[in-house]
Amino acid sequence: MRVVIAEDAAVLRELLVLMLTERGHEVCAAVPDAEALRAAVAEHRPDVTVVDIRMPPTHTDEGLRAAIDIRGAYPGTGVLLFSQYIETRYATRLLAAGSAGVGYLLKDRVANVAEFTDALQRIADGGTALDPDVVTQLAAAGGRRAGLESLTARERDVIALMAEGRSNASIAQTLVVSHGTVEKHVASIFTKLGLPASDDANRRVLAVLRYLRG
Amino acid sequence: MHPRAVLRAPFTRRAWFEAAYCLAAFPLAVLGFVLTLVPLALGAALTATLVGAVLGLVLLVGVLMLARRSARLHRALAARLLGERTAPPPPFRRGHGIGGRIDARLRDVTAWRALGYTLAKLPVAALGAYGVAWWITALLNLTLPLRWFLGGGTPGGIPMLTPLPAGGTPHISTWPGTLWAVAAGAATLLAAPWLVRAAVAADRRLRHALLGPGELTQRVRALEETRALAVDDATARLRRLERDLHDGPQVRLVALAMSLDMAQEKLTDQDGAISDPDGVRRLVATAHRSAAETLSELRDLSRGLHPPALDDGLPDALATLAARSALPVELSAEIPVRPTQAIETMAYYCAAELLANAAKHSGARRAVVTLTQQDGALRLRVTDDGSGGARVTAGGGLEGLRRRIRTVDGRLHISSPEGGPTAITVVLPPHA
Repeated sequence: MRVVIAEDAAVLRELLVLMLTERGHEVCAAVPDAEALRAAVAEHRPDVTVVDIRMPPTHTDEGLRAAIDIRGAYPGTGVLLFSQYIETRYATRLLAAGSAGVGYLLKDRVANVAEFTDALQRIADGGTALDPDVVTQLAAAGGRRAGLESLTARERDVIALMAEGRSNASIAQTLVVSHGTVEKHVASIFTKLGLPASDDANRRVLAVLRYLRG
Repeated sequence: MHPRAVLRAPFTRRAWFEAAYCLAAFPLAVLGFVLTLVPLALGAALTATLVGAVLGLVLLVGVLMLARRSARLHRALAARLLGERTAPPPPFRRGHGIGGRIDARLRDVTAWRALGYTLAKLPVAALGAYGVAWWITALLNLTLPLRWFLGGGTPGGIPMLTPLPAGGTPHISTWPGTLWAVAAGAATLLAAPWLVRAAVAADRRLRHALLGPGELTQRVRALEETRALAVDDATARLRRLERDLHDGPQVRLVALAMSLDMAQEKLTDQDGAISDPDGVRRLVATAHRSAAETLSELRDLSRGLHPPALDDGLPDALATLAARSALPVELSAEIPVRPTQAIETMAYYCAAELLANAAKHSGARRAVVTLTQQDGALRLRVTDDGSGGARVTAGGGLEGLRRRIRTVDGRLHISSPEGGPTAITVVLPPHA
């Protein structure tokens, strides 16, 4: 995949470039701030961008704002935000326009390069990758919501993993159950949330959004 | 004073406004004095009987309320004509119920001080009025020749005024005599502004002492201000610490973990020989560098929180600081009595900041740090032979330093002419 990286810490930026290049991906640009990110995305039209939230000049949410702009201007470009803390507020703003091709991970996750590149690939393919911390916080911030309280504990585990952006196979592996069991849980979740039968991927996104935003 | 200034004084706006102030303040002062003293005397006389005492109390309350109002008037007058703003006293706090209200009035320190002003103002206002009289005398005498011409030699002559009571009013009936009057008028004109100014100066002292906020109120205001500074400062320092941790050790540790994971992948990829030993070596080297940098950043950060050398006292800590400074530093530190920890820490950071400034901005070749103690107060002096021109600017380092020093009632003196040398003195009390 073709990637643009925006990260102000040089050491991390270089490692990301090295890591992605070694895995056969093309890093079109690696820039240190949001302005350069906007320009690089406009120029290269990458499949996905990796964006640090806190960047110069104000070190607050430059990355997030650039990411939202990019999502608006180039829907085909996936955005993976990462930062050292999870801010529920940021996640809500990012997910406001849908969860397809969006990711939000703690920086710590970069340390597991295999999982990180998987997540990046998922986003590039139009999927979602949310940090377990993001999912927990958003679910907690949303509180009790209609439809959701009827879910069983197991179904909640499943939808939390769905919210991270995982496939049924990956969920089955994590929960150590069969693929069929996961499919049963997923179908039950769709029914309980009252999601009409349509194509599976779309219902999945709707269920996750319902779960995260209430 | 420059002789020119003396000659020019009668023709300055300041002199005119001061005279106008004295002119306006005099009737007010007389009225205030009478309205204060008469009811007070009456009240005192009435206190002989019980009913009279109650009436006397009412009169006293009335006088106090009047004093507050007249104080406001005098402050406004000074602000309007002299452009001198007297800080307003604290607002009056009403009591509840009749007893409470009377009690609040009687305990109103501001009103009592205003009453003192009303009484003390009279002699000062009289002096001011006398000064105004000099102005008038001067102007009348200066115009005497004109009046002599217009009057065509009044029978018996024109009276010439003299500013001094003993001078009398000699009558001028000859042409050369009018020139004498002009000379006397000119002399009076030159003197009048200074007489008025003396009255205004005396009045200023009275106003500051009795009409402004009292010493306690000022102290409370200063404490409120410095407390706000201290809180802001603490918040800003925590914010900076968070930023430093975020941009430093946290990033390095992510990089460290990431390079180790990448190296591990390369090692576990193959069953047999490692395909890319150089890559692994590079990644391990990156990891190692990240770890070393994290350590040094954490050390700097924790030293910023509390320099360990301070545990052995300020002189030792300053010696460590001097040894680490980018400039050669000559240090002399002699303090017989150890100040409190907060003051030691403050002094240390001042020295650190000032030395860093000297090294960074002034182009100095060497610096001298002197630490002495006088009556318990700590005196830290940092001088350098750099280019000078150091001053407090909004948001600058010295401004931040001054704010922090103020939080413990310390002072900052800067002497830094363009071209140098720079000498900055920090005086800190023995305890915060």
